Amino acid sequence: MKKIISIILFVCTLVIFTACDGINANNEDKPFEPSYDTNTSCKITVAGSYDNFEALEAEFDRFNDIYPNVQLSYVKLDDYSNTIATVLESKDKPNIFFSYAGMVGNESYKSVFEHMENLSDSSLNMNLNCIRSGLINHDENGNVLMIPVLSRTYGMLVNKDLFKKFNLSIPTTLEELNTVCETFKTKGYESPMMGYSRKSSSCFMYTLAYPMFVVTLAKNPEALALANALNPAAGEYMRPALEAMKQIIDKKYIDINECDEIADNYTKVILRFFEGDVPMMICAGDTVSGTKKRESQSEAFKNSPFDYTFAPIPLTEEGGYFIDSPSIEFSVNKYCDNLDMTNEFMRFLISNKELNNLASIKRLLTPTKDLSFDTIYAPFGQVPSDRIVSPEVLGVLDPLTVQIRVAAYRVGKGELTIDEAVEMYGSF
Amino acid sequence: MKRIWIIIVNVFIMIAMVIFVILYSNDENKSSIKRQIEYFENTTITMKHITENYLEGEQRICDVWTHYINSNEMTIDEAVTFIRTSHVQPNASAHIVFLDTLTGLSTKGRNGDLNNYSVSYERINLLNDVSWISEIGKSINVSRAYTNPVNGEQSIAFCNKVNVRDTSTGDIKNAILLRVMPIAELEQKWVFPKEEFASAELSMIDDDGDYIIKGHSFKNSNLFEFYRSYNDVDNLTIDELSKKITSSTGSITMLNSRGEECILAYTSISASKGWTLLNYIPMKNLSVNTENWLLIGFISVGLFVLFVFDLAVMIIFNKKLHLAAKEAAAANKSKTDFLSTMSHDIRTPMNAIIGLTAITEKKLNDTKVVEENLHKITQASNHLLTLINDILDISKVESGKLSLNPQTFSIVETAQNLVNLFQPMVKEKNIDFNFRVGNMNIDYIYADQLRINQIYINILSNAIKYTEPGGSVSVDMRQEESPKPGYVRVVYNVADTGIGMSKDYLAIMYQPFSRQIDSRVNSIQGTGLGLAITKQMVDLMEGSIDCQSEQGKGTTFTIVLDLPIADKQRDEMVLDSMDVLIVDDDRVCLETAIETLKSLGVNPDSTTSGIEALEMIKHRHEIGQDYRIVILDWKMPDIDGVETIQRIRKDLDSNIPILLISAYDWTDIEDKAKEVGVNGFISKPLFRSTLYDKINEILGTASKSVEPQNDYSDLEGMHILVTEDNDINWEIISNMLEMYNITTERAENGRICVEKIKNAKKGHYDLIFMDIQMPEMNGLDATRYIRALGDSYDSSIPIIAMTADAFAENVTECLEAGMNGHIAKPIDIKLVLKEIRKIKEDRKNEKNN
Repeated sequence: MKKIISIILFVCTLVIFTACDGINANNEDKPFEPSYDTNTSCKITVAGSYDNFEALEAEFDRFNDIYPNVQLSYVKLDDYSNTIATVLESKDKPNIFFSYAGMVGNESYKSVFEHMENLSDSSLNMNLNCIRSGLINHDENGNVLMIPVLSRTYGMLVNKDLFKKFNLSIPTTLEELNTVCETFKTKGYESPMMGYSRKSSSCFMYTLAYPMFVVTLAKNPEALALANALNPAAGEYMRPALEAMKQIIDKKYIDINECDEIADNYTKVILRFFEGDVPMMICAGDTVSGTKKRESQSEAFKNSPFDYTFAPIPLTEEGGYFIDSPSIEFSVNKYCDNLDMTNEFMRFLISNKELNNLASIKRLLTPTKDLSFDTIYAPFGQVPSDRIVSPEVLGVLDPLTVQIRVAAYRVGKGELTIDEAVEMYGSF
Repeated sequence: MKRIWIIIVNVFIMIAMVIFVILYSNDENKSSIKRQIEYFENTTITMKHITENYLEGEQRICDVWTHYINSNEMTIDEAVTFIRTSHVQPNASAHIVFLDTLTGLSTKGRNGDLNNYSVSYERINLLNDVSWISEIGKSINVSRAYTNPVNGEQSIAFCNKVNVRDTSTGDIKNAILLRVMPIAELEQKWVFPKEEFASAELSMIDDDGDYIIKGHSFKNSNLFEFYRSYNDVDNLTIDELSKKITSSTGSITMLNSRGEECILAYTSISASKGWTLLNYIPMKNLSVNTENWLLIGFISVGLFVLFVFDLAVMIIFNKKLHLAAKEAAAANKSKTDFLSTMSHDIRTPMNAIIGLTAITEKKLNDTKVVEENLHKITQASNHLLTLINDILDISKVESGKLSLNPQTFSIVETAQNLVNLFQPMVKEKNIDFNFRVGNMNIDYIYADQLRINQIYINILSNAIKYTEPGGSVSVDMRQEESPKPGYVRVVYNVADTGIGMSKDYLAIMYQPFSRQIDSRVNSIQGTGLGLAITKQMVDLMEGSIDCQSEQGKGTTFTIVLDLPIADKQRDEMVLDSMDVLIVDDDRVCLETAIETLKSLGVNPDSTTSGIEALEMIKHRHEIGQDYRIVILDWKMPDIDGVETIQRIRKDLDSNIPILLISAYDWTDIEDKAKEVGVNGFISKPLFRSTLYDKINEILGTASKSVEPQNDYSDLEGMHILVTEDNDINWEIISNMLEMYNITTERAENGRICVEKIKNAKKGHYDLIFMDIQMPEMNGLDATRYIRALGDSYDSSIPIIAMTADAFAENVTECLEAGMNGHIAKPIDIKLVLKEIRKIKEDRKNEKNN
């Protein structure tokens, strides 16, 4: 009997590996083959909310290696959320524009969605398989109107040199996290963990609490509906997240006063981390994207550079969570000029190679299935699939995130107790 | 210098030249780029003026509107209506926005709702801080590029603070008037004017480096961030760069997003505070001739080809030089060997002369020893003379001065002399010598007798010299028809059974100073010059010389000369028709003799045997048809010529005239032959003229014109003036002539000679022997002087040069001076006597005539 079971297990294992191998094979890029005359001359504009997007401009250059006469440019729109609809109707209508998961279900973006091309149309031959399935949003018709080109998550920047100095490993469980923090404290690091805390936007409290809250909702589908509806009854589901966050503060692993010294939630967070005396800096992936460029702006880092990475925060005994969300998604304006060449550019861009390249320059998480290429985000590649949660796939809406963000911030600041915050869900 | 060093130096020069060209080319490129950049900067400044004019023009409109609205205290609706009516540009619009609410009205309706003129700048970070908007007319208040909230177009706005009356309260409220221009329209107008900078891109930045208008190739939203992203800089440099670009005019080089080097020209726009106009162009698009690699490549290839060519030429020259050096070394060695040989060859006969003279002095009473020694001294002297002559000749050959002196002479006589000359040597070496002639019909030719004689003697003497006793030497001489009109071809073939020559020596045998056998280690004497001289002479006469030789077997030389036929020829030689018997065991000689006899008009019978000849004579005698003459060879296998004569006389009792032929001197057999009844002797080769004369002589039909061989009694009593400055020479010639009863008188130099001639009675001197090089007056001048004397006797007296100046040109010089002949020292008394006789006969003939 044991023998039969062993054989069955072996065969199953073989089939799984073969299947995995097949997936990997499908994920491999085919060399890009131009569909049109490479001397084609036209203009393509990408409109977005970023002040600048050099990573995308680098992709323009790479596309120009194939189509040298296609003039691609990125335009930052003022008040993007409010003007995109107008811009899409204007003479300056862009070919490609930023879209966000938050737009889904929002009536004010109805006209924007009407401009979006179905990028899953097989005639366009987009390689959507290269993107992690949890990041792709399908509408009610199964169409893909937005393709994530960058993704984000939540975690902590880890000063690897400090860990190495004290012979410590990056923690992967809550217990390990506690141990590491205690060790650092004994070594004189009063606040082994830090983060932005002046305002609720991108504060470390939210970064700590949000993943756990989403996971809790994911485990309770009825709770998600309540939470999206901002029903106070959903407040109870915040409790585990808030408690975990509060516990870190209470154990003095984070010195809020010191965190309040950090003036903004982006540049100053990075520069503070580059001072070299912070073992773990809690932040979102968007903040990590600014590290590369700021290495040269930090005198401390230039004088004493160190190795660092971005890792999940292990707030449970099982480990941390990988909240896998699109950061930027691209939609194609189906009413734009030069639609064929626009789709050609998208076909060029949506590939492991180009998306990884884009993410590497932007230093954001790539939306592709391969996370190993970037050592900064490599730890997220180690997170088992059952601990990966995609809020967009789950159906988490923007108002929900505001509730947990404010609640976590105020609890963290001591303005509210956890009970008060739970009761106040829907009122933030 | 060794070849490798030459190559290294050449390569070094080549590399240096190429480096120079590269450096020079780069320098020129840099200069050219610098000029282009300056031009580019100037063009940017021009663009700045155009831009400023445009901005000022647009701002001016905005100012006029503001003035009008302010002066009329208009409400916002009135102001918008006013602008709408006065605004003529279709794509432009105007917004009036209250500063307190950042909302207002637009002159144009919103996209999709044209009746909605409301506008809000609340969420556009443009008017939150309006400190950048100066008071009216003070500056150009133009905004950054932003998204027009009404139509969504990227635009810029010319702004002014304006006062608008509140419709509800009537109060004056602060507002901003924005004259909004779409960037797209601006870009269409803002085209770079220069064709050569078609790829240039214009941008404008504010004092923070943020783009107001952004060119396509400009990345990021901020110029300095763009610069930082693709260029290796630190913050300090960026700050300095920022200060430099936003406050001055100039250009920098930078790398673009593709890593290409670009020029960024910048100039501040004075009309707009803090704005800078940027002009960008990739370096590769500057019209600079950077393609000098073609020139460098061409020069490199050219130098390399030149180098290879020079190298090849150098190698060829080196080979030639090496060869020449080898030849020179060989020649030098030859000369050294020659001098060594000459030293040996000269010392040998000199030793004989000196040694034998010393011996003779001691044994003057022993007549026999004296006679033998004198004979040996004579031989040694003659050899020495030959040696000297050869050296002189080769000296002329080498200097290219060998020339010919043609004169009429008898080739037959030359051949006869040749035989006579070598008879003693042949006899002495016991060599089987055959001299055959054939078809020698032309007797007199006009050529250089001396040189022809020298050629024939050289070849024949070598053959005899290098043939061992018992061997044979054969000479075949014949005349053939020459391809040249008026010429006869004389073929001279000498074959010997001597030592022969090796193939190596055959290749160099005509080179001077070369010889196969070194006389220093071999008893055979020679100068090694004979063949070289012979070859030069044959070439000079446009003839050919061929040699076939095999070592140990013998050598055959064939000389072919086309010689001019002289005008003077003998009278026709025809004998009466008669029967003649000719007997010779040598079939070739026999055939030749038969042909010759037939050409003389006689009927020859022939046989190769003496016995047979006896039979034939007997038979003729019996039938009563005796031969008129029998010509017998002396040496024959069965019975020789003497015995045959003896039998003819005894057994046949015949008085038939008999001529005995001999290839050698017949003095040994003369007595015996005469005793048995020979009528005459004749020597081989049997020339036509010789046969003709001899037959006539035997038959008594010709006058005796033959010279007595050793009888010079006809010269007795002659009186000769010898002009000679050297006492010994005078003694030699006077004593020699005295032996023949010829008297002499001495003149010590030319002047005395002339005096003596002038004072002499007519006919006192029969002849003058004139030395050439003498003190006071030389022989040539003396001759000319004498010839110039008025007296016919003086002017016609024979003058013979007797001089050591033995070259042909010396002979010519003498004849041209008026002399009648030339005798070279050391003198041969026989030649002297022959010359005297000739002079005497010529004088006699003149008298008879």
